[in-house]
Amino acid sequence: MDAMLFWVIAAFLTLGASLAVLLPLSGRKPVGEADGSHEIEVYRDQLSELERDTERGLIKPAEAEQARAEIARRILKADKADSRSGSNALSDSKAMGVFRMAAVLVVPLLSWGIYAFVGSPALPSQPLSARLEKNPADSTVDELVARAEAHLAANPDDARGWDVLAPIYSRMGRYQEAVTAYRNAIRLDGASAARESGVGEAIAAAAGGMITADAQAAFARALELEPGQPKAGFFLASALAQEGKIEEAIAAWQAMMMTLPPDSAWRNAVADAITEGRTRLADVAKEPAPGPTQQDIDAASAMSPEDRAAMIETMVASLDDKLRQNPRDLEGWTRLVKSYQILGRTDAARDALKRGIDVFGKDSAEARQLAQLSNALGVKATE
Amino acid sequence: MTRKQKRLSIIGGALGFLGFAAALTFYALGQKASYFYMPADLASATLEPGQRIRLGGLVEKGSIVRDGGTEVAFSVTDTENSVKVAYTGILPDLFREEQGVITEGSFGADGVFRADSVLAKHDETYMPREVADGLKEKGLWQQETQ
Amino acid sequence: MVEVGHFALVLAFALALVQSIVPLVGARVGDERMMAVAGPVTMAGFALVALAFVVLMISYARSDFSLVNVWENSHSLKPMLYKITGTWGNHEGSMLLWALILTLFGSLVAVFGANLPASLRATVLAVQGWIGTAFLLFILVTSNPFVRLSPAPIEGRDLNPILQDIGLAIHPPLLYLGYVGFSVCFSFAVAALIDGRIDASWARWVRPWTLAAWAFLTGGVAMGSYWAYYELGWGGFWFWDPVENASFMPWLAGTALLHSAIVMEKRSALKIWTLLLAILTFSLSLLGTFLVRSGVLTSVHAFATDPSRGIFILCILVVFIGGSLALFALRSSTLTAGGIFHPISREGALVLNNLFLTTATATVFVGTLYPLAVEALWGEKISVGEPFFNLTFGPVMVPLLLAVPFGPLLAWKRGDAFAAAQRLMTAFAGAFLAVLVTLLFVDRTAVLASLGVGLSAWLVLGALTDLALKAGFGSVPFSTMLRRLVGLPRSMFGTALAHLGLGLTTLGIVGVMAFETENILAMKPGQTAEISGHVLRFDGIQPVQGPNYTESRARFALLGAGGQVAGEIVSSKRFYPVRQMPTTEAGIRTMGLSQLYVSIGDETSDGSLVVRIWWKPLVTLIWGGALAMMLGGVVSLFDRRLRVGAPSRRQRGLPRGTETVTS
Repeated sequence: MDAMLFWVIAAFLTLGASLAVLLPLSGRKPVGEADGSHEIEVYRDQLSELERDTERGLIKPAEAEQARAEIARRILKADKADSRSGSNALSDSKAMGVFRMAAVLVVPLLSWGIYAFVGSPALPSQPLSARLEKNPADSTVDELVARAEAHLAANPDDARGWDVLAPIYSRMGRYQEAVTAYRNAIRLDGASAARESGVGEAIAAAAGGMITADAQAAFARALELEPGQPKAGFFLASALAQEGKIEEAIAAWQAMMMTLPPDSAWRNAVADAITEGRTRLADVAKEPAPGPTQQDIDAASAMSPEDRAAMIETMVASLDDKLRQNPRDLEGWTRLVKSYQILGRTDAARDALKRGIDVFGKDSAEARQLAQLSNALGVKATE
Repeated sequence: MTRKQKRLSIIGGALGFLGFAAALTFYALGQKASYFYMPADLASATLEPGQRIRLGGLVEKGSIVRDGGTEVAFSVTDTENSVKVAYTGILPDLFREEQGVITEGSFGADGVFRADSVLAKHDETYMPREVADGLKEKGLWQQETQ
Repeated sequence: MVEVGHFALVLAFALALVQSIVPLVGARVGDERMMAVAGPVTMAGFALVALAFVVLMISYARSDFSLVNVWENSHSLKPMLYKITGTWGNHEGSMLLWALILTLFGSLVAVFGANLPASLRATVLAVQGWIGTAFLLFILVTSNPFVRLSPAPIEGRDLNPILQDIGLAIHPPLLYLGYVGFSVCFSFAVAALIDGRIDASWARWVRPWTLAAWAFLTGGVAMGSYWAYYELGWGGFWFWDPVENASFMPWLAGTALLHSAIVMEKRSALKIWTLLLAILTFSLSLLGTFLVRSGVLTSVHAFATDPSRGIFILCILVVFIGGSLALFALRSSTLTAGGIFHPISREGALVLNNLFLTTATATVFVGTLYPLAVEALWGEKISVGEPFFNLTFGPVMVPLLLAVPFGPLLAWKRGDAFAAAQRLMTAFAGAFLAVLVTLLFVDRTAVLASLGVGLSAWLVLGALTDLALKAGFGSVPFSTMLRRLVGLPRSMFGTALAHLGLGLTTLGIVGVMAFETENILAMKPGQTAEISGHVLRFDGIQPVQGPNYTESRARFALLGAGGQVAGEIVSSKRFYPVRQMPTTEAGIRTMGLSQLYVSIGDETSDGSLVVRIWWKPLVTLIWGGALAMMLGGVVSLFDRRLRVGAPSRRQRGLPRGTETVTS
């Protein structure tokens, strides 16, 4: 509709512009005036001005007389020039007719031609307020976030708003902002296990997967508020693994397995972690598993953020490549989905998950396992 | 004086004035134009003591020293050579480590450049053009992001 | 509907092309209908560019980041005023403003020029069309503000914080009205060369346009100077920076043009010279645009420069300046000079004025472009700064200023210098008194400065003398004098006001340059500093949150004689997070005609703050005088005698011709 309206307006503008050329060209031939008459008019004006100045005493009579004589001389000169003028017949020639036609046609042809080259007629205007007000279902994630931000800028005390925004920031990879949002919610509405563990998760993600002391403190607070909270427990155990205390980590995970309800989404992740821990224990000497291992991530956390991102990206990309050639690798798919998720590339994670499930067949055990893991991570195969 | 003589004397006067202005301009260009140097150029340059020049380059990292009052000392570098600069007053808003600056002033007897003006333009992507060209010649120029 | 604006811009380009050719051909072959195309096409072109401009402005106001230009230069949190002024706070938008003003002036010529000779009007508008075509093409090819971005980002990159100031709302539009206003004079000059004739009505037409453009340019230059003064925090009002010179050169040349146009109108003399000045003035305006936009010269004021665009403008520059000067060389001999006058006469004085002003323009020109030439020829980098201009521009301007009061007192054709000098005795005595007072009571060593004060007084008193004499002061009763004063033509008031303003500006410059005092020190809260008898106490720093910046506000109390607080000065540093840029907001307190100017630096490690304080005596007169000059121009513009009566219809029926060469 917008585009339609544009073409109508463009057509009207073109019409108007063409008429600005066409109407004078096709009009009645105006009656000519001698140019000299303009000049004489100026001199006449000067004469009357001179009279006024003389009356007011601004000019001495003798000077006025001189000036009058000079203006009179110029009037005579202009009169003479006038009588020398002649007319020109060239204007009615055939070439001129073609020229006039070209002049009229050049307006629509040139403008539409150039516009076709430089314009983007299909793009509607997108004022920010309208983008933020339209139906949320049509909005991009960025727009939704901007809308939430605008709401929170106006009502910074809305704890629920911060609660909603915080995990979204986390998923978009804006970890620092996620931390701030969680902390705002805690400040306004008090601490809860979910908020504290969210803070910990975001801090860890910001550090490239490294569960720092700050993050551990946050998880610890979460466990105080809700003993047995799976996320906090899981990450604290992972922290042990990162510190090299793999046995203790496995013990902690195994303890978790005991307490987790049978339908918990965390069971698979924990089981996975246990398997991985055991593998690491078993073959430290072996070639490291493809994809970003914990050591890699640890090394990465010592790098500058750009280098780190680049390193993780290349490792993830090589894993992705490997899976394309060698798809029947459940562990590989699991790691790929997880990696993309950590990188904040939700779309890629979703895509990897879908590809993984397709490889094994929708109803296979592996596919279910993948799906369960992904649920735990917050990734869904289809939206 | 005849009319012709009068006219000639007027034209002569006008030409004389123009000649005077032109002479003044050339004299001023010779005396008052200040030359632009990068730290590396200074080795080969012969500078008279007190001669005003413009010195350009990057503010060396970690070289900014404030005396707690209004005196500031820093070094201007082209990443190979560097020159110590002393300045009294308020540094421009965008004066930062490893950013381009142009300072104007003259060398003191102690080899320290006494600047009476420090320019760092008010645009975050700015690199003074002379500095940028100088760095390009030395192959040290990297296009900043954005 | 962003694309409507884009399309309107393209359409305006097509119309400009028609405007460039059809009326000109019409004027050459004597076809009235083709000449008649000029008016409607010019006005339609203006309407279309205005539409494009409004669309861009709305896009800025509504933060439509689907435009690259808006995305790069705006931010949704920016206050509305800066969203709107941000439209021309960037290269693309400012060029669109340029084109808008150009087409506006074209339309004004079309509307008010209804009584111009048809062929002259058609040719003038065609020349305007050439300029319009060149600049619209430039915009479409290299600087299109309507380039789109899809998908649109959700937030923009913000406007350079230095530009987030009321100055952006005033300075560029005024400056462009001045720059581009001279395009009308240029078009008239080129039209006269093409037509091979130039007459009294031509001069009558050029003078109001010159006046209008000159008044705007005066305001624009002054406003730019004041803006830099308070925004940069360096306390300077003029840096002899290339960008400043770029606006100053057309002003000097335009001032010369203004004066020579008077001679031409009144006395039909100096025709060819006036023509050349009209061409040169607009050429300098184009050069100014080139210098600012291309970034070929290092400047502290240049924003968003791009050398590739510079080459395009350079081509425009070469074509227009080269073309018009070549045309001048070819055709000026067909124009005849007229009007003989005695060297001691009003005309003679105005010629002297022109000689000085053009020489002054030349010195600024050399100083500005010499570094460029040196670099191109010898590869050496040099900079030419204030010392050069003080040594060259000063000596050229001083005799001019000395001569100014004489000019209006001399009669046309043959004047009496001795009589004029006699009548200026009072002014001279006043100026002498001013020198003595300055020497005795202000500073006994400031000989040059006191002479400067005397020069200013000479100019001011000279302007007042002129008015008093014209009203018949001393020779008629007071009531008659008042009546005559009121009845004086407005252009006389304009002249007096402009010359008076010149004196005031001179006084302000002398005051600041000679008597300014400055103090740099590190202050802790509670400490006081003294400057020229004023005592300031530093009361500490407070953080403040602005709409799109954070601010550290340093408060200073101005203490009176008894130690009581007599006023407050707030000087601050702002930080704009989007651009990661700090700015300085100087604290300024106006006291009478003088100002106390406080600029703050960084906090030192021991908690004190580096503060720079200036006492700037009479500084406001610099811009006050410029405003008086601008006002003089405006008053003169409304002089009833500038209107050209329409030729009476009684004379119709005479065959008209276009090939006429009159003398």
